[in-house]
Amino acid sequence: MNAMKMSKDGYLLLLHTDEWWNGLGREELEKYVAQSQAWLERLMASGKVKGGQALARNGAMVSGQNGHSITDGPFAESKEVIGGYLLLDVETFEEAVAIAKTVPGLALGRKVEVRPLTNVCPAEARLEELKREEELATA
Amino acid sequence: MLLFVGTDWHKGLSPEEMQKVSEQWMAWFKRLTEQGKAVAGHPLERDGKTVSGKNGRVVADGPFAESKEAIGGYFLLDVATMDEAVAIARECPGLAYGAKVEVRAVRAECPLAGEAETQLTEATA
Repeated sequence: MNAMKMSKDGYLLLLHTDEWWNGLGREELEKYVAQSQAWLERLMASGKVKGGQALARNGAMVSGQNGHSITDGPFAESKEVIGGYLLLDVETFEEAVAIAKTVPGLALGRKVEVRPLTNVCPAEARLEELKREEELATA
Repeated sequence: MLLFVGTDWHKGLSPEEMQKVSEQWMAWFKRLTEQGKAVAGHPLERDGKTVSGKNGRVVADGPFAESKEAIGGYFLLDVATMDEAVAIARECPGLAYGAKVEVRAVRAECPLAGEAETQLTEATA
């Protein structure tokens, strides 16, 4: 992966989870696991995925000046957290959404967030907006 | 993985402060990349979609563009321990303004099966 530039186009799928699988019996779980693995293999083989991983349950939440506050997270704070991600190498939002619709587990309550990657830091984008507003105001 | 939580913390900053944070952030990412500790990273566009329901039949706008909980970007780190990842997270220039950084270890298994496999293991133990 070219890591020098924050400027690759592409899309990120964030797989939300609220531990919906807790209600499933063993057979259903095995079926789901098999389906997921097959789905991912097909997707990887299609060349549309740059990477993807599950995220371990435990983690940390860092906040405050100099990150002085470190708490166990994120499950400690919220029922719905991000359980994994997929980095897609497709050209359009529609393609990314179409892939998101095939993610196993949707029927069981999982949600998938689709976000376009950008190469403009959000603070910078906001700065540009402000500058434009200023220009308009003083024109 | 570092997930940058909160997309509204930079509201209320002056243009100079925004410029400064933005430059600090870019410099931070550049340094981490040169050290080989960051392998990828992107801001995320503010608008996105959330897909849910059987066959993903529900496609809604979301997450909310400006929100305390929305993810604004990510870094994928290549470090050996959680402690190292947390130490890096503490350097985030947005922290002083209210941004939060979620630190999560990545797993080797399929992103979808991984969590269910854990459940299976626990259930059959």
